[in-house]
Amino acid sequence: MATVSFQQASRIYPKSERPAVDSLDLQIADGEFLVLVGPSGCGKSTSLRMLAGLEEVDSGSIVIGDRDVTDSPPKERDIAMVFQNYALYPHMTVEENMGFALKLAGISKDERATRVREAAKILDLSDYLSRRPKALSGGQRQRVAMGRAIVRNPQVFLMDEPLSNLDAKLRVQTRTQIAALQRRLGTTTVYVTHDQVEAMTMGDRVAVLKDGVLQQCDTPGVLYDRPANVFVAGFIGSPAMNLVTGDAVDGGVQVGSAVLPVPRDQLTRAAASNGKVTVGFRPEAVRLTGPGEGLPVRVNVVEQLGSDAFLYTSLADAPDDVLHSADLVVRTEPRTPVASGQQLWLGTDHGALHVFDAQTQQRVD
Amino acid sequence: MTIASGTVREAAIAAPPPAPAATSPARPRKRRQLTRNRWGYAYVAPFFLVFAAFSLYPFMYTAWVSLHETSLSNINGGTWVGLDNYRNLLQSEFFWNAARNTLTIGILATVPQLCMALGLAHLLNYKLRGRTFFRTVMLMPYATSIAAATLVFSQLFGREYGLINTMLEAVGLQAIDWEAGTVSSQVAIAVIVTWRWTGYNALIYLAAMQSIPGELYEAAEIDGASKWKQFLHVTIPSLRPTILFTIVVSTIGAVQLFGEPLLFAGNGTTSGGSSGQYQTLGLLMYQQGWSNFHIGQAATTAWAMFMIILVIVGVNAVIGRLRARADR
Ligand SMILES: Nc1ncnc2c1ncn2[C@@H]1O[C@H](COP(=O)(O)OP(=O)(O)O)[C@@H](O)[C@H]1O
Ligand SMILES: [Mg+2]
Repeated sequence: MATVSFQQASRIYPKSERPAVDSLDLQIADGEFLVLVGPSGCGKSTSLRMLAGLEEVDSGSIVIGDRDVTDSPPKERDIAMVFQNYALYPHMTVEENMGFALKLAGISKDERATRVREAAKILDLSDYLSRRPKALSGGQRQRVAMGRAIVRNPQVFLMDEPLSNLDAKLRVQTRTQIAALQRRLGTTTVYVTHDQVEAMTMGDRVAVLKDGVLQQCDTPGVLYDRPANVFVAGFIGSPAMNLVTGDAVDGGVQVGSAVLPVPRDQLTRAAASNGKVTVGFRPEAVRLTGPGEGLPVRVNVVEQLGSDAFLYTSLADAPDDVLHSADLVVRTEPRTPVASGQQLWLGTDHGALHVFDAQTQQRVD
Repeated sequence: MTIASGTVREAAIAAPPPAPAATSPARPRKRRQLTRNRWGYAYVAPFFLVFAAFSLYPFMYTAWVSLHETSLSNINGGTWVGLDNYRNLLQSEFFWNAARNTLTIGILATVPQLCMALGLAHLLNYKLRGRTFFRTVMLMPYATSIAAATLVFSQLFGREYGLINTMLEAVGLQAIDWEAGTVSSQVAIAVIVTWRWTGYNALIYLAAMQSIPGELYEAAEIDGASKWKQFLHVTIPSLRPTILFTIVVSTIGAVQLFGEPLLFAGNGTTSGGSSGQYQTLGLLMYQQGWSNFHIGQAATTAWAMFMIILVIVGVNAVIGRLRARADR
């Protein structure tokens, strides 16, 4: 068990001018489940591999527990990693795969067998110990990869998109199992995913990365309720937050012919850079109002999910240049009698507006 | 099995529903498959024609010749002796001498060759500067003619002015009469073979190594495996089928070893040294047929070599099959 910290850690791949990970600062508490999330290519894997010792750290440092491991090889870091494609040794049985690290560490055969069997029981792999990876299903392979990590009882678990090769249903099941297992073992875990739903459901805290730069690191609740900038606002949540940009006018932000009300003080600070303000509101924070009241929109598609319905709409009177995002998504009660092509008016809940400086993209409260 | 059943199922889908077969249903299906696959047969036919003309026919003809007492000039007119040639061969001390030499030279050449190839491939698999250069250099011996290479090597191994003896003497050791001794001549020939084939095998290993996913090495590294343990526990097991393949190919080459011992003494005699100390089966066959004019006996030796190869390949196949089964 240990804390982990990235201190101004950067990685610049040879022959690339932009750092893949740029001055990453991140403190992870002992026993915490931290999720690194961001779009593909944002530097999640690189960050994780820097922590694993598989990737050089060009500047800054990485500390596990109270030991600076920046220049230590992987095996001296007391970490275990679960790879995206599992990286199971194809010629070894499940038991040998899980016991390999113990064998290299010189642990006796009996002790090895006990520990592997214990882990196999937790992961429901007891019946497959003598099989080879080839003869396992995707889900079983994934569990063997997990097993290989937990038998070692390391200080830190590292997982790089371990669920991305599973089908949708199994992914949802397994993500709860992994989260539960981590809480039970209490091992500090850094988990990488591009899927924000996975991040939000699994993590104690979630760190959002973009282009190698940390955008925000906080609990899922805070990320959702108070995104630090436009990127996080748009990335976290499904369907995504509606974001529109317009001029600051008296009483709010001009969007098409309507004005979204923003308190004066907040508006002044948000418009300080260039007079434009980005406003965001989540699909569930939108109400249908009466004709002529609020934002006029036209319904493009109605998506019935059973528990709720989503209306995909676009502003009815939008001059093109005003819009950040042309589409507005609205959550309504299921079976609301709305048809595509219909014109509606939207109002936002009081206090549900997120306000950002359109220039700096930063949140303004 | 799976392929065949897949084809049948596909055929059932692709073809219009067949008219209910009143008689035996198996027969029309077979014929339909034949016609369905006729282009496949047409495309492989040239290979089998060439194979029949240049492999199968000489093969059977050799077998037929081996049952006769005859010489090259009268190859179709010899007297039928049945299995006499085979009996003679098995009782001939020359045959057993040549067989023993072939075996020892084969081991001396193949084992170090494949081990070195594995090591070289492992080194070349690292991101070295000038990798392409090294790979080309490694293939050069393979591209050299046996005659030229053997000529150079026989000079290196020369008794009086050979470079190797000069060096041995320079460090205070005794010069060796390489060609005269049994062990020394066989070692020298094994060196030539090794020199010629190591790079070739290394490139085969290298190609196989490059298809091993890098993640496996990273996983092993995190599991605490040193570079050597990674080689042992990741590289070697992944290369097992390739290693088996190179063993088979090298063994076949070793059984047929001919050019190097023929030219080693520099005069192209088939006796393999004054006391036959490095006469291989290939040399013996040539001696029987072309120096002693017993082409029937030579054909017998050729068949014996073929049988040896069959046995070796068969044993390898069985080992491979057993391993594959154990892997499942
Ligand atoms: N070995 C490498 N050499 C050069 N550039 C790389 C290498 N690996 C990743 N990159 C680059 O670094 C950036 C971050 O990659 P990565 O950490 O794999 O992203 P993620 O895991 O978030 O999808 C990408 O722009 C990618 O192209
Ligand atoms: Mg990645």
